Formats: sequence, structure tokens, C-alpha cells
Amino acid sequence: MNRLKTSGYHLAMGLVSFLWVAPILWVIVISFRSFDDVAANGLGSLPHSFTFSTYKSAWEDADEFRALVNSLVVTIPAVILSLGLASIAAYGLARYSIPFRRTVLLLMLMGNLLPPQILLIPISRFVELIGYYDTLIALIAVHVGFGLGFYTFVLHGFMRDLPREIQEAATIDGAGPGKIYASVILPLTRPAMAALGALSFTWIFNDLLWSITVIRSGEKMPVTPALLGLQGLFVSSWNVIAAGTVIAAIPTVAVFLRFQKHFVGGLAIGAVK
Amino acid sequence: MTGLAADRRTFLKGLGVLGAAALVPGCATSTKSPGSGSAATGELSLQSNLSSEQAKAAMEKLVAAYNKTGGAQVKLNTVASEIFRTQLPTYLTSANPPDVYTWYAGSVADSYAKKDLLLDVTSVWDGLGNYPKSMQTLSTSTNGQKIFVPTSYYWWGMFYRKSNFAKWGVTPPKTWDDFLQVCRTIQGKGIPPIGIGLGDTPWVASAWFDYLNIRINGAPFHRELLAGRGRFDDAKVKAVFTRWREALPYFDPKGKSFPFQEATSALLAGRTGMFLIGTFFADSAPKDALDDIDFFQFPIIDPAVPVAEEAPTDGYFASRKAKDPDAVKKFMAWLATAEAQETYVQNSSGTAIPANPDGKAADTALVKKGKAMIEGAAELTQFFNRDSSDALQPTADAALTKFLDKPDQLDQILKDWQVAAEKVFTA
Repeated sequence: MNRLKTSGYHLAMGLVSFLWVAPILWVIVISFRSFDDVAANGLGSLPHSFTFSTYKSAWEDADEFRALVNSLVVTIPAVILSLGLASIAAYGLARYSIPFRRTVLLLMLMGNLLPPQILLIPISRFVELIGYYDTLIALIAVHVGFGLGFYTFVLHGFMRDLPREIQEAATIDGAGPGKIYASVILPLTRPAMAALGALSFTWIFNDLLWSITVIRSGEKMPVTPALLGLQGLFVSSWNVIAAGTVIAAIPTVAVFLRFQKHFVGGLAIGAVK
Repeated sequence: MTGLAADRRTFLKGLGVLGAAALVPGCATSTKSPGSGSAATGELSLQSNLSSEQAKAAMEKLVAAYNKTGGAQVKLNTVASEIFRTQLPTYLTSANPPDVYTWYAGSVADSYAKKDLLLDVTSVWDGLGNYPKSMQTLSTSTNGQKIFVPTSYYWWGMFYRKSNFAKWGVTPPKTWDDFLQVCRTIQGKGIPPIGIGLGDTPWVASAWFDYLNIRINGAPFHRELLAGRGRFDDAKVKAVFTRWREALPYFDPKGKSFPFQEATSALLAGRTGMFLIGTFFADSAPKDALDDIDFFQFPIIDPAVPVAEEAPTDGYFASRKAKDPDAVKKFMAWLATAEAQETYVQNSSGTAIPANPDGKAADTALVKKGKAMIEGAAELTQFFNRDSSDALQPTADAALTKFLDKPDQLDQILKDWQVAAEKVFTA
């Protein structure tokens, strides 16, 4: 009876996970089909061909290497900067009774409630005004600015729950606010930081909107707009686009695998036990 | 399980090595980028939306050929067509805009000229005396300046597979009645006669509206209507749909669910009989099927109406803030030459026809037939969005897809269309 239950559970869960994985598998299958096969039989048909040439042409035509480098040049500093700044802000707001700290926190969160679309034109104009239009620096700044509010909010919640006694003990031992932040609070916040880091990496890496707003040159585009560039005006080689997408997914998958543990446990587990 | 974990580690290690390799040149780019605007002197920037593999390569060859002629060097910057379409207004209004742009002739170019964003290239046109009148009209703004240099065009037609038509025993029809007869015959064989692809690409339906309108009411009425000087709930517009309803039973019912690229596959596989589409569809056809493809002119409905055809024209315009207007004009004059246009046409997909009458198009039966059809037409239109605006296109998409779904509600649909169009025109 018990075994029947277990196998039933596995069967049902297997089906559900297949449902989730199916679109991804479909993309992978398409990425190995030839253009003539897709054109003659349609995207939905079973593959009639097998080729690696799609990966080669995605790599070369979309200049995907350069695009991936651009993406990483934007994503890595943006993640480090935004998490660094957000953790300092959260530390101050959570551990010290700064006047109006609630207002400050709400103000930061409010920015996140606005749909980013309404800020497209102001940002593009502002970036132009300060002379950073069409640079990766502008893109990093935009991502840091937009991430800050939400990351601070999450880290604030996390840091607030750390026991008071630890900080008091550190103060008695002669540690100043900077020391407490670096040696006590930050190490304890690691699970939350790891989870947020993985999340923000995916967000920034997969962003399309901001990159096309502040970047104009093809050679400075990150990987998402570069993939869009594989689409022609009328006709798109879906097999090449699929191959390019598979390549572009590798960094995020890698980050996910590396931080898998934190993804699942990070935000749920309490701070110190 | 441990095996899996080990695999994950190896995978990550491998990526680590790759990532480190990627970051080395990355650091170099990041230190270089601040402040490097596109304002390099003596260099023209050409912003191109031709991002598909072949067209991009053809553009690179074209620019390389110009750069060999001496003068200002042109720097090609290709962005995805979808990004280009949405960002073009931003490019043009920015403080330091790119100099030259790929875009469309006619009212879409004129709408930017009205905002005083385009460079007056009348002096370039002094050397283009051999261009037909229709091209001149398309390149002239409302206030009489030449703002555009056309370089190529393509055509629309009713495409079919020769072998299938032979198998079904039908010949290409000339008149509307013949056309409906052909539809009936093909349907008798159990095949949906008219293919269409409206999922994701609802604008394909506008080709039917355009053609029926220019066949029934003529090109001048069509142009006036799209320019906002007519009404979509006019009885004359209603007549277009009355004709359309005669052909409605022959449309492929599956066509609403897939994009035109899939509809092309359906046509080539013999799952539909014919397909009203622009020549760009040939890029999505397998090479071996192309020899079997032919087209016929959209059937004549009223012989008294002068024959018009759709010939969407592509080319270039320049920003009014171009840093070196003389160099820009020199480049555009070169783009207008037969040699430059041949270079582009030969290296791109091959169905485009050079705008310069002296330019040689690809030497295939299909292209010759297309060129002859366009040259024989009394009037040329472009396409719904190009003759009106990108803002009006969605109103047509909504109205036409609704009509295909519920032809009985025509009166209400046309009323709604007029309301939506008025909003666009008064905006």
C-alpha cells in the first residue's frame, strides 16, 4: 500500500516536472534542427534532421561571445555593487534607530512599485544629459539603482531578526559600527545575500528593457538584445535563435547550480540557531 | 546521486575557466567605455535594422565597398529590427544621433520630417533624374523637401507551387470570378485554398484589405483613407469587405493560430493552395522548394480601376543633426547608384529589386516577372503601415482579425475601427 502511494507520487510529480521541462526540451530539440527542416515541416513537428551548425552560426552571427562578455561586465559589478550598497543601507536601517527610517525604507520600496516602463524616457534622457548614453557604465548604474530598493527591503527584514545580544557583545568588545557590519552582521547575512545574489544575477543577466534603452551600438549590446538581433525583419531562423538561447542560458544555470542550496533554503532558514 | 553532484562540479569548474577567459578582455572594454560617444570626427554612423544573417552580411559588404572609395568612413551599426523600430524616435531626438538610418519611404518617413528631424537631401536628388516619378513622390515630405533616398523595393503577389497547381488542374486566375472558381476547385480536392498566418503576425491580413481596396476603389481613395481624409465606415470601405466575404469560406481555418512563417511551410507542403504575401517569405523557404514557386497578380475586380500594386520601398534617411551633412549627402548619393544597389541586392536574399531603374535585379524568372508587374502598374502603394503609420496598423489588425472571426458584425467593426483611427489621427 505504502509502495503504491510512493510510486503514485513519483509518477504524478514526474508528469508535473515534465510539464515544466517540456518547453525547454522543445527549445533544445529545435536548436539541433536544420533551417530547411524547420521551414519545410514547421516548428512543431518532430525533428527530421540533426545539426550542430546552428550553434556555430549563433556564436558567429550574433557575435555571442562579445555579447556574453558585455553581459558579464554589466552583471557582475551590478550585482556586487547593488548588494554591497543594499547591505550597508539595510544594516543602518535595521540595527540603528535612525530617525525616519521607516519612511526611508517605504520610500525605497515605493520606487519598486512603479512600473519601470514609465521611467524609460526620463532615464534615457538623463543618461544622455550626463554623457553616459551608450555605455555599459550607464547600464550598471541603472541596474544598481533599480535593485537597491528591493534588496535593502529584503536584507533589512533579515538583519532585523538577528539577535541584539550579538551586536551588544561586539560593542562591549570594542567594535565600532563598521567593524560590527563587516565581522558580525555580514557573515550572518550570508544565506540571504547568496539567495539575493543568485536572484539578481538572473534578473540583470536576463534584462532586455534597460539595455535597449541606454545602449545604441550593436557591439555594446548584452546577450539578450543580441539574441533578438538574430530575428530578421520578417523571417527568423528559429533554430539558430534556439541555439543562441541555449548558450545564453549557461551562465544563469551555472549560477543557479552554484547557489542551489541557498536558493531553496536561503530565505526560509532563520539567522542563527 | 554523488555522480550527479560530481558532474555539476566539473561543469562549474569548466565554466569557471571559461568565465575567467571571458573576463580578461571584458575588463579592457569596461575601462575604455566611459565617455566614448559616437562623435568620432570624419566618421559617419549608419544605424541599420537589417539584422538577419544575409542582410547584415550584405550591408557589411556595401559599407566596405563605400569605404574603399575614399571620403568619410562609414561605421555600420546593426541593431535588431524590433529594437530599431521601437527606438528610432529616441535615436532621432537624442542630442548626438547617428547620421544615417535604414528605413521606409512614404508617410512613415514624412512623419519624422514633419517633426523637423530629417536632413534635407534635395541636392542628392539632382543626380537622380532617372528615378521614376512614383519614387520621387515617395521621397518628398509634405513641405516639398526630398528627405529620403530609395534603394530597393519588393512586391506582393499570390504565391503558389507550380507542381500543385498542375496536379489540381488549375491555372493562375486573372479576374476575381476566375479566382473564386480556382478556390472552389482546390477546395474540392480537400485542400484549404487560401493560406494565411495571423498568429503573431496579424498585419498580414492588411495585404488583403490593401489589395481589395486598390482593386475596387483605386489607389487614390486608398491613400486618402489611410491619411485620415476618409472614413472607415464609408460605404465604399464596406464594399471591400463584401467582396472579401465571397472569398472568406476559402481561407485556411488554421491560419489564425500560426505566424506567416508557418503559413509559408503550409503552402510549401501543399497543405494550402495559395498565399498572398510579400517576396520576403522566400527567405523562410527551403532552397529546393524555391524553383517550384510562382505567383500571380492579385485578381482584377473592376477593369475600370487603374491597376495598382503594392511595392514597399526601402532606403535611407539622415538626421538633421548630422555632424557632417556634406559627407552624409555624398554617401547617400552613392547609395542611390545602380552599382551600390546591385552590391546589396546580390548579397542579400535576392528577391529585392534595385530602386535605380538602371540597377540589375537578380536574374531569375520570378524576379523578372515581379519587376515587370510593378513596372506595368499605373499606381504604386506600399503597405498599410507604410502608407499610414505604425500607430494605425494595430487598429487595422484588430478590425481585420475580428472581421475574419465574425464577418456578421461588420457594421460594428467598421464603426469601432473609425473611432480607433480617429484617436490615432488626432493624437
